[in-house]
Amino acid sequence: MLSAWAFQFACLLVCFHLNLCEKPMASTVIGNSIVIDGEITGDEDLTIRGTVKGRISLTASLIVENSGIVEADIETRHVEVSGNVTGNITANEKVELKSDGRMVGDIKAPRILIADGAVFKGNVDMER
Amino acid sequence: MAISKTNPGTEINVTVIGDSVRVQGTLSGDEDLHVLGRVDGRIELNRTLVVAPTGIVKAEVMVKNAVISGVVVGNIHASESVEITREGRMVGDVYSPRVIIVDGACFRGSIDMGDTASMAGRQSGNERSSSAPSTRPLSSSSSSSPTPSRFSSPPSAPPPPAWSPAPTSAWVNSAPVSPPVVASVVIAAVDEQQSDDVETLEAAEHEQEPEQEIDQGRLPTDPPQARGFSQKSNKARVIVKRK
Repeated sequence: MLSAWAFQFACLLVCFHLNLCEKPMASTVIGNSIVIDGEITGDEDLTIRGTVKGRISLTASLIVENSGIVEADIETRHVEVSGNVTGNITANEKVELKSDGRMVGDIKAPRILIADGAVFKGNVDMER
Repeated sequence: MAISKTNPGTEINVTVIGDSVRVQGTLSGDEDLHVLGRVDGRIELNRTLVVAPTGIVKAEVMVKNAVISGVVVGNIHASESVEITREGRMVGDVYSPRVIIVDGACFRGSIDMGDTASMAGRQSGNERSSSAPSTRPLSSSSSSSPTPSRFSSPPSAPPPPAWSPAPTSAWVNSAPVSPPVVASVVIAAVDEQQSDDVETLEAAEHEQEPEQEIDQGRLPTDPPQARGFSQKSNKARVIVKRK
């Protein structure tokens, strides 16, 4: 009886852990070969592996992966750049330029991280 | 969000527009697209567009295949097939050699199954004939194919296109609608032209596009059953199957 209860508890823990692990995965993905010319708005995480031109406005995270190319003005909560971004970023939480990231444009965010290897040209504004 | 667990969209070659995301503008690409959110504007894909029950698409759509379980407002040009499922609602015109409308689906607009070859570019027609053997262009020997008596032309059938050398025989593949459906509607286009007309049309086509000769020359060897009887009429017909 006790072992059964322990097993159930373990299962619950595992499920909870899996849930946590899956959480960072974005539910919207713009794939490698996709080109979007226009505007993207939404309330959920967005991962870009393809090309987006225009404007991106989110209340969640934006992740530009290695193959991603963004030529857009970006307004989000949190941005992670491993690909190419041209345009201005306004984030109300954090902007991360990873070591593979290349960015041309102005960044306005309370926290800005630029990793070793990243390429950046533009202004930084960290005023709160 | 929970979508990533239930949806295969997190795989490499699928693009997902999530629940709360709205895209305005042009969306083009070379991979499958699942729309759970909203897309306004224009969609151009060489693969399959899937509109989930939560998805809303208000766009001019050009794809290979389309599966509609959500809402689509706009015209769809598909080089292979369009399927409107039970939850699907659509307003607009469909241009596709295969159109499947399942019982329960809502649809308003016109359907053209014959014009695709001349409209979306010839290369799509060639792709079709190589990838899907059942969707071939017409052959000139159409007189041998029988017309089943259960198919009757409704009075409201749309007028035939001006000319249609299109691969309408694909309707044969559109028949297998899912078994649990009580009454399924299959709309198939068939050519009402005489075989002589077809021959003259094809002759004209030969002059226009010599590269089509390979396809055309290969076709008469096919058995008549494979081509179906679709060469007979040019009108879209509504067939209601009940079981």
